[in-house]
Amino acid sequence: MSARDAILAALGPASGDDLDRAAAALLIDPERPPVDPTQLEETFAARLLLPSVAASYAAVAGFADVPAAIAAYCAEHGLPRHLCAPPDPRLDAADWSGIDRHLDPAPDEPLALAVAECGVAETGSLVMRTAPTAPMLPNFLALHHVVVVPRLVAYLEDALPTEPMPRGYYWITGVSGTTDIEGTYVRGAHGPRYLHVIRLISEN
Amino acid sequence: MTAAFAARVDAALADPVLKIAVERTAGTAEAKRTLAVDAFPDFEAARTRAAAIKDHVVANLGAYLERFEANATAAGATVHWASTAQEACDIVLALCRQAKAKSVARSKSMLGEEIGLPHALAEAGIERIETDLAEHIIQLAGERPSHIIWPAMHKTREQVSALFKASHHAPHEEETIAAMAESARRHLRDAMLGADVGISGANFLVADTGAVCTVTNEGNAELSLVPPRMHIVTAGIEKIVPSMPHAVHLLRMLSRSATGAPLSQYTTFYTGPRRPGDRDGPAEMHIVLVDNGRTRMRREGLAEMLRCIRCGACMNHCVVFRQIGGHAYGGTYPGPMGAVLTPAIDGLAASRDLPNACTLNGKCQEVCPVRIPLPTLLRGWREKSWREGLEPASVRSGLALWAWFARRPRLYRAATATALKSARLMGGGWLSRLPLAGGWTRHRDMPAPAPKSFMDQYRQGRRR
Ligand code: SF4
Repeated sequence: MSARDAILAALGPASGDDLDRAAAALLIDPERPPVDPTQLEETFAARLLLPSVAASYAAVAGFADVPAAIAAYCAEHGLPRHLCAPPDPRLDAADWSGIDRHLDPAPDEPLALAVAECGVAETGSLVMRTAPTAPMLPNFLALHHVVVVPRLVAYLEDALPTEPMPRGYYWITGVSGTTDIEGTYVRGAHGPRYLHVIRLISEN
Repeated sequence: MTAAFAARVDAALADPVLKIAVERTAGTAEAKRTLAVDAFPDFEAARTRAAAIKDHVVANLGAYLERFEANATAAGATVHWASTAQEACDIVLALCRQAKAKSVARSKSMLGEEIGLPHALAEAGIERIETDLAEHIIQLAGERPSHIIWPAMHKTREQVSALFKASHHAPHEEETIAAMAESARRHLRDAMLGADVGISGANFLVADTGAVCTVTNEGNAELSLVPPRMHIVTAGIEKIVPSMPHAVHLLRMLSRSATGAPLSQYTTFYTGPRRPGDRDGPAEMHIVLVDNGRTRMRREGLAEMLRCIRCGACMNHCVVFRQIGGHAYGGTYPGPMGAVLTPAIDGLAASRDLPNACTLNGKCQEVCPVRIPLPTLLRGWREKSWREGLEPASVRSGLALWAWFARRPRLYRAATATALKSARLMGGGWLSRLPLAGGWTRHRDMPAPAPKSFMDQYRQGRRR
């Protein structure tokens, strides 16, 4: 008997309930931190300040304002205007003169830009998905991670994909941190040490 | 208690550094969890829901596994099944050979430890790069994890510093924790990016999408799973959840119970390999579903243990764990959950001490996010051990067990302090609830308990 058959035989038949009905019944009114739907902007911005998230934040109008916001971030942190950016047509449409963008991340990439699908007010999470226009590796490699957030939702459930899952679907809720040595929190364990959110107010 | 177990406990109790190291991390985790739980609207109801979700999955596990397999396969992943630890390791090694792997990058997985994967890779001559900082530390030290969330909890900064200086190519110069972490960052990055295969565990397997979920604070899973051409997942069959919203509920419970954060920094769902047009991602994804005793646990009265989401709260709140640390337990999983799991995985004869190294004060059950009745399950093991004649008669009397604790004053004081505080010692607490506790109950007509009177009583008993 194959291991598969042995395991399934040992588990026996299902309980006989309607699985989907029973599973759905377990999701009615889930307990979760209350989020006021009229206060999404404020709640999201406040979550970014949680010690476990610790992201900086800037609000601009739309995609056309992203290059200027990046230039300001680089100036503030003394970084060259040189970044790894995804081939996202919404970014390409902006005027990037004076800023050097490249597609492939260097092993010690200082700055990577990404566009989130949305931000989550409940947790301050940035919702990301892979696509030909959205590679994954730069977001875990760069020291500074800058994420454009065009839209906000209240809860994690509201951010879940409705269409088939992308290959990589991920929530970023802070920087690469560790408490592995004596429980002391250190930022920048492997990937980003700094997370900066550029919120596009008029895109929502 | 067996001599081997007693020796491990005594060594742990005699190690002053260990106590400090464990206390620093577990104490912080306990405080942060309390804040997070108090801030949550109705954590008790959320625990009940989490337990119900897991019970539903465990009751219908076969159907859900088939559903997961179908969806993961449709997404382009290959699903493998393993009844035993050996079978699971064999599958992983065969895949590594197929990928002609010289080095693999592992992101922390307790299942990987459980099935002995680090050892199997070493035997096969494949270089193993542990990417989680704590796993990296214990790999350098040649040790096993001592906690399921903080595997290097037993190490002080001084010990970590010495390890890094001995093995990193450009080690830290400043004696700070930040500088040590930076040294590991430099050291691990190249190795990680050059690995041929990435191996991870899974926090959840999502049945209706075929997605595999990992949760980390470091982002090491993503960094080590995206560049290699093959991603191998090893996961216990109980990791299934029906759908993404079920995963969301359990993720809210997991992060709060483990670290006190509303959500861990990186939560990633991987569904199949690289797709056409993708700029990165593995060309192949393999998922190994591992039984290793789980179907037997389900059948033989331990189904509730299969709810466990490996948050570590039970050990952070355990008076015995806080005194002796994780290694004294001798298995992959320490603390209260380990004392239930290890006899199921390694056999009761080899681990019958573990269910005894517990005061049954009930704290683990109170904090468990999926309401596992750990003390009840531990008592079940004790009774089985007595029934099967594995324990000497003196232990069956209960008094010997009490005496064992009492001979270790630090452990004893820690154990009785909580019991007395909650006035459980004489009521429903550990000693009176011991089955066959005749040896002890003969002494029960003494006045209300105080730690001193116990010690006096014990000394008197010894003089007699
Ligand atoms: S038994 Fe409960 S508290 Fe302990 S690790 Fe498992 S889920 Fe967490």
